Order: sequence, then C-alpha cells, then structure tokens
Amino acid sequence: MTGQAFFVLTALADGPRHGYGIVGEVAELSQGRVKLKIGSLYGVLDRLTGAGLIEPDREEAHDGRLRRYYRLTRDGRGALAEEAELRAATARVVRARLHRPGPQAAG
Amino acid sequence: MSGGLRLEQRYRRVLRLLPGYYRERWEEDMVAAFLDSWLTGDPYTDECVLEFCKPAWQEVASVVLLAVRLYLGGAGAPRRYFAWGQAVRYTVLALLMVHAVRGLDGLRLVFLVRGVHPLGIVPAPPAVMAPVPGIAWPAGVWYLAGYAWIVIFAALVLGHYRAARVLAVMAAALDLVWLAQGQLTGALLSPFGSWAFWLLHDLVPVLAMAAFHRDAPPVRRWPWLLALPAIYLLVAVPELAATATGHQAWVPDLPGLSCILVAVLCLAHAPRALSGRAGTGVWSLTLLLLAAVAAVYRIASLGDYLQGHYLQDPHLITVGLAELLILAAAVTLVVPDAARAQTALPAPPPQPQPG
Repeated sequence: MTGQAFFVLTALADGPRHGYGIVGEVAELSQGRVKLKIGSLYGVLDRLTGAGLIEPDREEAHDGRLRRYYRLTRDGRGALAEEAELRAATARVVRARLHRPGPQAAG
Repeated sequence: MSGGLRLEQRYRRVLRLLPGYYRERWEEDMVAAFLDSWLTGDPYTDECVLEFCKPAWQEVASVVLLAVRLYLGGAGAPRRYFAWGQAVRYTVLALLMVHAVRGLDGLRLVFLVRGVHPLGIVPAPPAVMAPVPGIAWPAGVWYLAGYAWIVIFAALVLGHYRAARVLAVMAAALDLVWLAQGQLTGALLSPFGSWAFWLLHDLVPVLAMAAFHRDAPPVRRWPWLLALPAIYLLVAVPELAATATGHQAWVPDLPGLSCILVAVLCLAHAPRALSGRAGTGVWSLTLLLLAAVAAVYRIASLGDYLQGHYLQDPHLITVGLAELLILAAAVTLVVPDAARAQTALPAPPPQPQPG
C-alpha cells in the first residue's frame, strides 16, 4: 500500500469525509508532509473504490454544490489495520536497532 | 455571482483532459474539491476568488498526470485504454531495445578492435558511439551513454521503473549534449537523421515511460530479455555476412533497417492478426506505433540525402522510398486488427495493490 493510500484510509478511519476534507485531514495527520493534489487524491480514491476499500457514504449540498462523502468499508478497515500493524512492526525493529549499541559504542 | 462560473469553468476545462468514463464518475466531485480548496467562507473574498483566480499549475499538472495514467491504462482500466497502455509500453521497450542493440554492437566492436585509449584505461570508442570529431569528451562518457541503454532496457523489463526513468533521462541528456555539440561545430554527418533519432528514440520513450505506472501489469521478463540478443543476431549476422562477402552496399542504414525490421515483424504477426482471434490486437497496435516511428525516422533522414549532407547517391532516396512502401504495405496487414484491439481484448487482469 502506498503512503498516499495509507493516509487516505487513515483520514477516513474515524468517520466519512468529502474530497477536500480528506486533503486537509491527510495534511494534518502527516504534519504537513503529505500535501495531496486533487488529481492525485482522485487517482487514489478511484483505486481504493475499485479495490472495495472505500465507498460513497452520502451527498450533502454546500454552497450550491454537492459534496460526496466517503467511508471505509469493512475490507478497508481490515486493510488499514493490517498495514498499520506492518508499519508499527517495522518501526519497532528500527527503534530496536537504533538503541542497540553500535560497533563504536561496543568498541 | 456569474463570476463564480469562471473558476469552475476553468477547472472543468482542465478536467476535459480526462477520459469521458472517468469524468462521468468523478468530475462533479473533483470540481467541488477544487473549489473547496479556494473558498474561505467570507462572501467578498470568495466572490473575488471565483471571479479572478485560476487553477494552480500544480493542480493542472496533477490532472495531466492522472490523464496520462488513465489513457495509458493498466489493470482495471477499460479495454480501450488498457490496449493503448500496453501498446505504448511495448513500443517503449522496443525503442529502448534499438539503443540496447546499438550498445551491444558497441561492445562487440570494443572486443573486436581492441584499440587503446590514449590514457590507457579504456579502448577508443567504436564508431557507433564515437564522439563528434574535435570534441574532447572522455571516451568513458560515450561508453557509459551507449551501455546505459542496455541497463535501462533491463531495468524496465525487470520492473525497476523509477531507476529506468532516471537513467533514461540522464542518457538522453548526454545524447542531447552530443548532438548539440555536433550541431554547433558543424561536425554532425547527418543532422536530420541524428535529430530525428534523438527525438524518436530518446525523447519519445523517456516521455512515454509514463505508461509504466503503478497499475501497469508487469512485463513478461524472459521473452523480452531473450528478444534483445535475438534481435541483435537478426540484425548483426546478415550485416556481418554482407560485409564479409563484399556486399556492404546492400546493408541498409539505420532508418532503413528500422523500416525493414518493422515490416518483417508485421509480416510475421499477420497470420495471427488476420485470424480474428482475440488478444492479438495489442501487438498489432504496437506494430502500428513502431511503424509510425520508423516511417517518421526514414522520412526525416531522407533530408540528409536530399541536402547532400551524407552520401551523395540519388539511389539512396529511391531505396528510402522503397523501404517506406514496403513498410506501408506490411502495416496494412495489421491495421484492421489494431482497430479491433480497442474493443475485442480479453478482460484486463484484476486490480493490483490499492493506492
């Protein structure tokens, strides 16, 4: 799973969001490191919808336009949990290695 | 609020770059998200924004990249776009193979000639990679530029798309420097042909490598890897035989060779293309694209003969036109199948990893 997809799924983990809401949430989650462009966002949304990981939730009128909200599917929640566990396990390994005494410290 | 339509219309105009099926599904949503990214909630500011602001170039670029990925479709794309995506991917591989074959020929000549570089480090570059006379670039640079294409081809086949892209940009830039220097010093033997070669075999594949995106199905490794030595032998053996028997004049130049090779491939593919079986269309479409490249290269390089830049033999123009006719005749055999490719393909493979 790419970083962008991971962040989009994470942005939807606590409730449905519309397109620009996802962009804002991803920026906040990543502390400004991931700034999704709309073209990239809809590329990711299209793939995630096609893979059955997200689905439309509802449409709401806002300033005369319809905002479509998206939510995680059961598969999407499972995929996100799996990916989060994988990343956490990787982070644990990295932390353990960083705290292990290196050749210089040992010598 | 009529001005509000302006920014929206500008975005809709940008979104016209996307295929119809995609716009139908996502356009309204995308327009809403684009406008949301501008609006502040303050009526006066918003009115000014809607009236005067234009889509940011980064947003336009993201839509262009999305359009390229959709038109050159991969797994899960509609059949028409999947067919174009596959055909462009095969065409890129074939064009890179031309470079790789030249690189292999350079290697052969290095071993054959065993000339020694003045610095004693590497042998002098062979003719196919020789720098423009009078330009003092280290021989090693030209070796690297020539051989890099073999690595680029292999990297693409093995799925290392990013590495292939970076190396290809560097190799194409080196080739461009070589050409520009030759042009400026007047040392290029065949300016029309050389520039056409760079445009068609360096720039076009580098740009078309965009077709190797995340959704692109993996390339079948062994057929492509084995095709490289096979095509090399197919070209080099007759050439060597002609040279050895004193018939070197019969050896066509590179544009002519490209036309003949594509024509031979069209003839070899014709029985399958004409059989009406499903699944042959992508190759027909690929051969059509390769034929277009070969024809443009042939036509452009005839300019050198017409201008008397290169060999001044009027027969060469006749031969060049004959090669174009042969190519055109061979291509007509695969054109109907190429047209069917957009509707009669087997279903593309399922979606790969999400995101």
